[in-house]
Amino acid sequence: MAKARTLNQPSRASNTILNIIAAVFSIACVFPFLFVIIISFTNEKALSRDGYRIIPKEWSLEAYRYIFKTGDQLLRSFGITVLITVVGALLSLILISHFAYAISRSSFRYRNFFSFIAIFTMLFNGGMVPSYIINTRMLHLKDTLWALILPLAVNAFYIMIMRTFYRTTVPDAIVEAGKIDGAGELRVFYSVVLPISLPGLATIGLFSTLGYWNDWFNALLYIDNPNLVPLQALLMRIENSMQFLVTNSALSGSGQGMALLSTLPQDSARMAMVVLATVPIVLAYPFFQRFFISGLTVGAVKG
Amino acid sequence: MWKKKLATVVSLVTVFSVVLAGCGGGSKDEGSSASGSDKKDKPYQLVWYQIGDPQKDTDKVVEKINEYTKEKINATVDLKMIGFGDYSKKMQVITASGEPYDIAFTSSWANDYLQNVAKGAFVELDDLLDSKGQGIVKALDPKFIEGAKVNGKIYGIPTNKEVATQRVFRFNKQFVDKYNLDISNVNSLESLEPILKTFKEKEGYAPLWGDKNTSPYLAYDFVTEKLPMAIPFGSTDYKVVNFLDQPDTMKTFETLHKYYKAGYLPADIATSTNSDYQKNGKWLVDMADSQPYADLTWSRSAGYDIVSKPAGDAIATNTSVLGSMMAISSTSENPEKAMEFLNLLNTDPYLRNLVDMGIEGTHYKKNADGTVTDLPAAKDYDMPSFALGNEFILNLYDNDPKDKWEQFKKFNADAKSSPLLGFHFDPSKVQTEMAALKNVSDEYMPALMTGTVDPKDYIAKADQKFKAAGLDTVMAEVQKQIDEWKATQGK
Amino acid sequence: MKGFANMLKNISRNKWFLLMVLPATIWFLLFSYLPMVGTIIAFKSYRYSRDGFWASLFQSDWVGFKNFKFLFATHDAYIITRNTLLYNLAFIILGLICSVAMAVVLSEIVNKKLAKVYQTGMFLPHFLSWVIIGYFAFAFLSEDKGVLNQILTGMGLHPISWYSDKTYWPVILIVMNVWKELGYTSVMYLAAIVGIDRSYYEAAMIDGASKWQQFKNITLPAISPLIITLTLLNVGRIFYSDFGLFFQLPRDSGALYAVTNTIDTYVYRGLTATGEIGMSTAAGLYQSLVGFILVMAANLIVRRIDKDSSLF
Repeated sequence: MAKARTLNQPSRASNTILNIIAAVFSIACVFPFLFVIIISFTNEKALSRDGYRIIPKEWSLEAYRYIFKTGDQLLRSFGITVLITVVGALLSLILISHFAYAISRSSFRYRNFFSFIAIFTMLFNGGMVPSYIINTRMLHLKDTLWALILPLAVNAFYIMIMRTFYRTTVPDAIVEAGKIDGAGELRVFYSVVLPISLPGLATIGLFSTLGYWNDWFNALLYIDNPNLVPLQALLMRIENSMQFLVTNSALSGSGQGMALLSTLPQDSARMAMVVLATVPIVLAYPFFQRFFISGLTVGAVKG
Repeated sequence: MWKKKLATVVSLVTVFSVVLAGCGGGSKDEGSSASGSDKKDKPYQLVWYQIGDPQKDTDKVVEKINEYTKEKINATVDLKMIGFGDYSKKMQVITASGEPYDIAFTSSWANDYLQNVAKGAFVELDDLLDSKGQGIVKALDPKFIEGAKVNGKIYGIPTNKEVATQRVFRFNKQFVDKYNLDISNVNSLESLEPILKTFKEKEGYAPLWGDKNTSPYLAYDFVTEKLPMAIPFGSTDYKVVNFLDQPDTMKTFETLHKYYKAGYLPADIATSTNSDYQKNGKWLVDMADSQPYADLTWSRSAGYDIVSKPAGDAIATNTSVLGSMMAISSTSENPEKAMEFLNLLNTDPYLRNLVDMGIEGTHYKKNADGTVTDLPAAKDYDMPSFALGNEFILNLYDNDPKDKWEQFKKFNADAKSSPLLGFHFDPSKVQTEMAALKNVSDEYMPALMTGTVDPKDYIAKADQKFKAAGLDTVMAEVQKQIDEWKATQGK
Repeated sequence: MKGFANMLKNISRNKWFLLMVLPATIWFLLFSYLPMVGTIIAFKSYRYSRDGFWASLFQSDWVGFKNFKFLFATHDAYIITRNTLLYNLAFIILGLICSVAMAVVLSEIVNKKLAKVYQTGMFLPHFLSWVIIGYFAFAFLSEDKGVLNQILTGMGLHPISWYSDKTYWPVILIVMNVWKELGYTSVMYLAAIVGIDRSYYEAAMIDGASKWQQFKNITLPAISPLIITLTLLNVGRIFYSDFGLFFQLPRDSGALYAVTNTIDTYVYRGLTATGEIGMSTAAGLYQSLVGFILVMAANLIVRRIDKDSSLF
């Protein structure tokens, strides 16, 4: 341990208290998730008989078997999701970081105008149907991967966060110094501003990655081709059907509805879907996390 | 350093996912344009939206369907399956956006038939049925046609299946046998009491099960589901009443509440949405809608024996008639072809069975006695039968009763029509009130219908809220529309 | 002409910035502004036309503010507005305090490995839908089988019918919402704190400043622009509510409507009865408009106090 780091540490006692606070809360967050995993491996009959148990009386892989019934479809959907998540997150990082930087600079004459343009879209939207028409008729996005990427590429909320990050972490002096060195506005942005804005970029990158990963609604609207269906849409379809059949009494009372329901391992399958949809993205989390939590020396990241 | 790492990770992931995404893609639309050799016009392609989870082998089956329909009616279909939970939402966007399609599944519970008709989404079918759809008319019980009419015109083709619903009490036979319970006299909620008591004493938990959507049998024809506007069955003066204020309703609710207090009903019933009890078998009796051989179907899907006793007559209501239909979109380029196809689907056993069960020899096999048995590949083509057209020309499975469809036809012929069959309330003039009433109904009805609350003061409270939300205005509008409808019907 | 020449000059001076905002601006035009034309559905009785959406839109009858009426005309109007507003206020204030506090806690923990583990854990609820969380809540709150009631009866107390007793629900809803989103929102503050130049703290420490003083004089001022931005943005959403939280978590229990019915749940229930897209568009427009007015007002106030922190 370097001396400089130990100097400003909290006392041992307060460090313990901080640890306890964080630990208790994170356990409260992890616990339900552990339960999700356990239930996903529980036998459905045992589940309805004994209720949720930390150590179930009967284990079962039935839920996963049910989901994997779709076979190569699941794998293909996973590939689609990874592809749109990576391409989409990169695209939105590029668009957002540029836009946000420009409106963060007080030397940009039209910064307020463009800030307003962005914020206005957070407050008002035209609704699903007009968007659908523009995306399908005008831009011809139906049944293409772009329909899953483009509609989520820009987000005014992220832009405003990023703008704030630039304002607080990029001192004017650094930019001016860069300019005096003879570099243009763009050069300064790429070589000076971006490297010191890593925590902000990682935050936005993380949020938009999650946004793409979790999106299923665009796929529902725009994708008919089964080969282009992303993972969440595939899982949400099963989940939605289940939810619908359970709550729709007209159907579930009839023989056909009951037959449909009885083929589904309901609770365990539902949990298994959460596991399948969440675990990969949680595993990718540390990649972003290193930018928010790191040694105290991170203050000025040297690119 | 991080840049390099990032670049490697990104490129690796991209390559990996492109490869994954690529496998299995490719050839899709090739089959359809292959045989252009026949001299006829280019076959018309019908876009057909259907409720049900997409199946792995849909493309294979559709290819077979198209071979047949091209020859028969010079048309092909593009069958698009949309999952149960997503169907209404997606169809709403498609219809509202004016995207062209030809045929869509519609009903009272998904892709709402009446709302679509009111907004002009469907083609009026009377003339088309006359010219191209006589087969359908012949096959259907007249009650179907009558119930599907909106302002005297028909906009959707009901699936030929059970036309009526019959409320029944279902019993878990295991316990009926175990405690030697006498269910032969059960015909009403009140008559259940002795057996409920025995069960509760012996087993210690609630005998009568259901969820928040459960409702006891009430002898009324509801104008709109769960709103307190109804006409008593057998009514001749067609006067709309608030059924909550009627003495027989009060008696039913009081009985239910008595049972609830006695612990005959599960404590959480007013908020419960799961049917766990059917899975774990820890129940004695519940309420359901029946059809011929329903006991058999129920027993089969539950995995243990279920028997039932009727709680009311078999009655064809608007809801039961509108349970499953097909409509032709007003954006269709060729409604005649669409009707020709629907006629074929509802009358041609080969096509109907192909759509329903898949390809003979692949998804099912035919037995010597004419019945069929699923082959392992049936799981790759598992369709919702009841939503696909005339059920009475479907093959029977080897474990089906031989007279299954005969019994259905008899059931339909014997069913009574409800007084309001064919009357559909148009709420466009009272939408504000309807939205408010629906909120009040969701707030008060589940607790009442499940016996969770004491009806004496609760009904008064509910009534007051309904009135404040505009019940009287809506009821007057309903009565006005019923009177007008009655005049045109000559009733 | 002078104005025009001036404008050209300004544009050329700002050309690099304009180039940077151009791609996202095009995106906004295509994906946000163009669809806004559809908002006029709110003032129409929307009926389908054979000739597609635009024809339907323009041929449908104008109905003025009729589609908005259902939001105000009833008894429930007061309840749903009050609920939406008060819950959002609680979420904004409590959410802010908790996420800043958690971010500070995480940034101060000595063992960074542990801090990472904690933080990953806190993120997990974000992935659980309200439907799933509703299931777990039911396992705790169910009247006859719930864990809480078993504890209560074990202690000799009366069991509580959680789903029909509305007294506890304001607390339950607020706690659950903060619990679910804390991991997500604290990331932003954590990133802001990590971005603060460490030399400030070192200087403060040499001057003998306590941790609290450091927080008050260095951390808080440094992250206050982010706090202000996020709060302003949240104010814009103050008439919106998370449907899942208010519908799935209380299991749509009628007895709880007095404290769980919000604008979004009310609209949802109402529209299942009518299916009129004009009404849902109207509701959205109403929510947006109130948010817009509040944001403009709040922004004006912020501008007076500190020009740099305002949104525009």
